[in-house]
Amino acid sequence: MGTTSNTRRLKLKSEFKTLLNLKNDPALLSVILFTLVLVTFFILIPLYNIILESLSDGESFSLKNFRDVFIMHGNMQILINTIVLGVVTSTISVFIGFIFAYVITYMKVRFKRFFNFIAILPMISPPFVVALSAILLFGRVGLITRGLFGIKDAEIYGFHGLVLVQTLSFFPIAFMMLVALLQRIDPSVEEASRDLGASRFKVFTSVTVPLMVPGLANAFLLVFIQSIADFANPVVIGGNFGTVSVKIYQEGIGNYQFGIATALAMILLTISISIFVIQKYYVSQKSYVTVTGKISRNRDLISSKKITTIATIVLMLITIFVIMMYILIPIGSFVKLWGINYTPTLEHYRYIFKPKLLQPILTTTILAAIATPVSGVLAMIIAFLIVRKKFFGKNFIEFTTIMALAIPGTIIGLGYVISYNKFYQIGGVTIIPPLTGTAFIIIMAFIIRSLPVGIRSGITSLQQIDPSIEEAACVLGASTRKVFTSITIPMIKNAFLNGLIFTFARSMTLVSTVIFLISAKYKLLTTSIMAQIDVGRMGVASAYCTMLIIIVSITMLLITYFVKNMNMNQER
Amino acid sequence: MLKKRMTILTILLLVASVSVFSNGAKESNGAESKDKGSLVFYAGLQEDHASMIAEEFEAETGIKTDFVRMSSGEILARLKAEKNNMSASVWYGGPVDGIVAASEEGIIENYISPEAVNIKEGFKHPKGIWTGIYIGYLGFVGNQKILDEKGLTMPQSWADFLDPKYNQEIVVAHPGSSGTAYTMLATLVQMMGEDEAMEYFKKFSPQVRQYTKSGTAPGRMCGMGEATVGITFLHDAIKYKKEGYKDIVISAPLEGTGYEIGGVALLKNSPDQDNGKIFIDWVLTKRVQEMGKTVGSFQFLTNKNANPPEEAMPIKDTKLIDYDFQWAGENKKRLVQRFSEETSTVAPKK
Repeated sequence: MGTTSNTRRLKLKSEFKTLLNLKNDPALLSVILFTLVLVTFFILIPLYNIILESLSDGESFSLKNFRDVFIMHGNMQILINTIVLGVVTSTISVFIGFIFAYVITYMKVRFKRFFNFIAILPMISPPFVVALSAILLFGRVGLITRGLFGIKDAEIYGFHGLVLVQTLSFFPIAFMMLVALLQRIDPSVEEASRDLGASRFKVFTSVTVPLMVPGLANAFLLVFIQSIADFANPVVIGGNFGTVSVKIYQEGIGNYQFGIATALAMILLTISISIFVIQKYYVSQKSYVTVTGKISRNRDLISSKKITTIATIVLMLITIFVIMMYILIPIGSFVKLWGINYTPTLEHYRYIFKPKLLQPILTTTILAAIATPVSGVLAMIIAFLIVRKKFFGKNFIEFTTIMALAIPGTIIGLGYVISYNKFYQIGGVTIIPPLTGTAFIIIMAFIIRSLPVGIRSGITSLQQIDPSIEEAACVLGASTRKVFTSITIPMIKNAFLNGLIFTFARSMTLVSTVIFLISAKYKLLTTSIMAQIDVGRMGVASAYCTMLIIIVSITMLLITYFVKNMNMNQER
Repeated sequence: MLKKRMTILTILLLVASVSVFSNGAKESNGAESKDKGSLVFYAGLQEDHASMIAEEFEAETGIKTDFVRMSSGEILARLKAEKNNMSASVWYGGPVDGIVAASEEGIIENYISPEAVNIKEGFKHPKGIWTGIYIGYLGFVGNQKILDEKGLTMPQSWADFLDPKYNQEIVVAHPGSSGTAYTMLATLVQMMGEDEAMEYFKKFSPQVRQYTKSGTAPGRMCGMGEATVGITFLHDAIKYKKEGYKDIVISAPLEGTGYEIGGVALLKNSPDQDNGKIFIDWVLTKRVQEMGKTVGSFQFLTNKNANPPEEAMPIKDTKLIDYDFQWAGENKKRLVQRFSEETSTVAPKK
């Protein structure tokens, strides 16, 4: 008893000491403070208000909502459905992401750039588009099911359809994370074991895969969390297969039962956090450091014809599948009405190019462009802080940022409105004016929703890099800022790049989070697309989506160009 | 070098964003100079309709008008959250049960418009919580091509749906998530009595291929050929047909059917209340109600003098039940729960 309290006191003392030490590093201190403020105001306070709502019975504190959730017919089944879906989707997504990442980094295959593009293509389109394509291809009157195979009663709605579209939507996240990681593995580690007589396969199973564990675990975590919080796909293609996020929407929006909706959201959050804790505990058991300096030389790519041919075929099959899903969108935007009337037309583009209807495209692009550098840089800084620095509130930051991803969008959006539609005043002086209806709150939502993926990918990359390089720079007198910009960032360039691209793509395609944040002045593209789909104007919706894909692709190229060049200039 | 690039990028972004923000600011300045003020409404009906109304209203009155379109439930959720600092003044369109629920939360300012004298009896709230703008009939939608292919005919009555030949051909929204489907549930309970209606749904449920989340989905799925027959609001089905889904056919139940009233309401503690009242008076007029059909709204109208859209004429003689909105609203939670239990529809079937 005495010893535990003693160690606790010691621990507190050392935490206090690290806090004091921060005084000597004002840059670090201000970044930490900024991050703390950010997560407090845009994750914790909204979350707190949501918890309050779930624990209130109209007037007083009560657990009634949670009791209702478990009593209500069918809810247990829905919970089980959601978890099964999460596990299956993440397993398949991580597997496919890994194949892509491994082949691209380790094998001598053709069309690498092309495969690379295909692996992130699904990320750059609004989520419900994949679901709609799946229905058009594999539904009852689907081009493939009915057109090609003549199956008259195909059923795409339900679990299998959902796994298909979710895997397609989420494997790019796994891919991005794993490819950044694989590229950082020093080939000499693997070559050493080759030289000692291990076969390629042996090297793969006993060197590469174990080194990948943190990446695989992180990728699994991210896909799992997104899968169970996903709303757009289940709502379009889930059919009779209920999931929690859809149920939340039904209760909160369909039945006006906010208490039950928020209680369900809390349960969902608990599941995500449990997975996060398990993952963190498991991964932090071991060290995965492999990069102890600059990678000495290029990797000897696997060039054995037998292996590369098989790999190319596998990738090609997946690629054809992805292309098939996405080609429908531009095609659909140039015909009168998909499935009914295939007369070519430009009318959908003429329609969206009216100034009023074009406005959402411009607004979304600009707001996303503002969010992107902020979120990208911040994610790397936070990842750097979490992996490298000891400071007060570190676990807190890591924990809360992951929570931002685990709350269904509708709920966090509602939390923002509840929290920031009022004046915060201290002594009659307005500290925070109402933020609802401003562009600022939309940008914050963009940042908060994309930050976790950037942070996770930064953390994963950093865990592999030996801190001694940075320490060396530190010893030589570089400030934290200098170390970060000239050592850390170049070393985790790929993670940084991914963070930027992900943020932009995610911001452009965010659906449920922004439903409550858009205002008469700031209307967003995704809500316009949803409205068009709802009235059955698939052509207009497709035209919007095509524009969106073009904008994101161009931006992606620009970002890649910027980041790649940035590194070259540094090396010079 | 990196810094330089970042700076350039930041400047570009700033310029771009300033131009967007100042654009918005300029617009509001322009409105102020005319000194008519402005108005924001939340639209629960389709985007085209809301957009046309906003433009026309602004053109006629000089009041700068903006709107945000959301589903009824989203509007209610948002209003509840915005209660202490309202940004919109009017709730325009969408079923009135949402407005009634909002009224219970103290969000609605009762307002009896002078124009309400021209609104048909029963389609306005006596205390002015809401005033009706349109009426939508619940009915059946089907895809003629698929029906022919399967050798089926379009169902004409609620009883028809229990015929084994429609097994696994029916698509309808779930009452737990869709106001449309709840209207169906409440209609049948009011027509048959609760126990008998539940017996009906027990037999009906195994026939259903899919319970959708959204009330408009059955119409869209029938249009695309994803479903053979469905239950939805008929004006939605007519709308899809107009959009080019040419195989769509509709019918109205012989036994009688329920309906929704789309309403307009003034929001409590909202800005620009006077403009809100002008807006409400304006949308209730014959002329404005009749403008709906030009943008694909094919509901029946509430103004005594207004002519219903041409497209809705084939269903104008539909037998309507005496639908009790008050009762339907009060019993919603219980009925949905009973429906879900008796039909076990939440769990997947396969």
